[in-house]
Amino acid sequence: MERASAGFRKELVSRLLHLHFRDDRTKVSGDALQLMAELLRIFVVEAAVRGVRQAQAEDMALVDVDQLEKVLPQLLLDF
Amino acid sequence: EEEQEAEEQERFSSQQRLKAAVHYTVGCLCQEVAADKEMQFSKQTIAAISEITFRQCGKELAHAKRSTINTEDVKLLARRSNSLLKYITEKNEELAQLNQERKVKKKKKPEDGNQTCREPAEAEGGEAES
Repeated sequence: MERASAGFRKELVSRLLHLHFRDDRTKVSGDALQLMAELLRIFVVEAAVRGVRQAQAEDMALVDVDQLEKVLPQLLLDF
Repeated sequence: EEEQEAEEQERFSSQQRLKAAVHYTVGCLCQEVAADKEMQFSKQTIAAISEITFRQCGKELAHAKRSTINTEDVKLLARRSNSLLKYITEKNEELAQLNQERKVKKKKKPEDGNQTCREPAEAEGGEAES
């Protein structure tokens, strides 16, 4: 999978995860960070694509929060 | 007390910085989707996706009782959707293979022994970041 696409940096993912850990000593393996970064990327792209689909269905030229709101419940059930 | 307040402040601003970093990445990803689908995103939409992503992050991993989070824990997060789980599992195998190859390459180079207490197997693939 060679793709020069944007994505979450490992360091950022690590910091984000540590924000939520109760125990500061909790560690995350490098592989897990990379996988988590990929999961987050998919989540964002999925949110965006579903928003686009909703906007297209409503014949809108722009994805606005109204469209996002409509696809959000199912998105959060899927992730 | 003052110290506590300063600490609180510090925590808040570091959280803001992280949010800004998430917002930036989400902006880039949305731009790619926008170009691909020929559809624009409002700034509020991108901000909303960023906020959701920020909250989504670690909402379940935070409860992990283990001291080290590994890829199996991440795979658990993807269990709600079959296709997502399949994709993440494949990606996991891909990563493991890549790291394996990198390990082999590194072994060929002479080691200069200044990394003392780390096992070579751990130093590569699973480098834990605290």
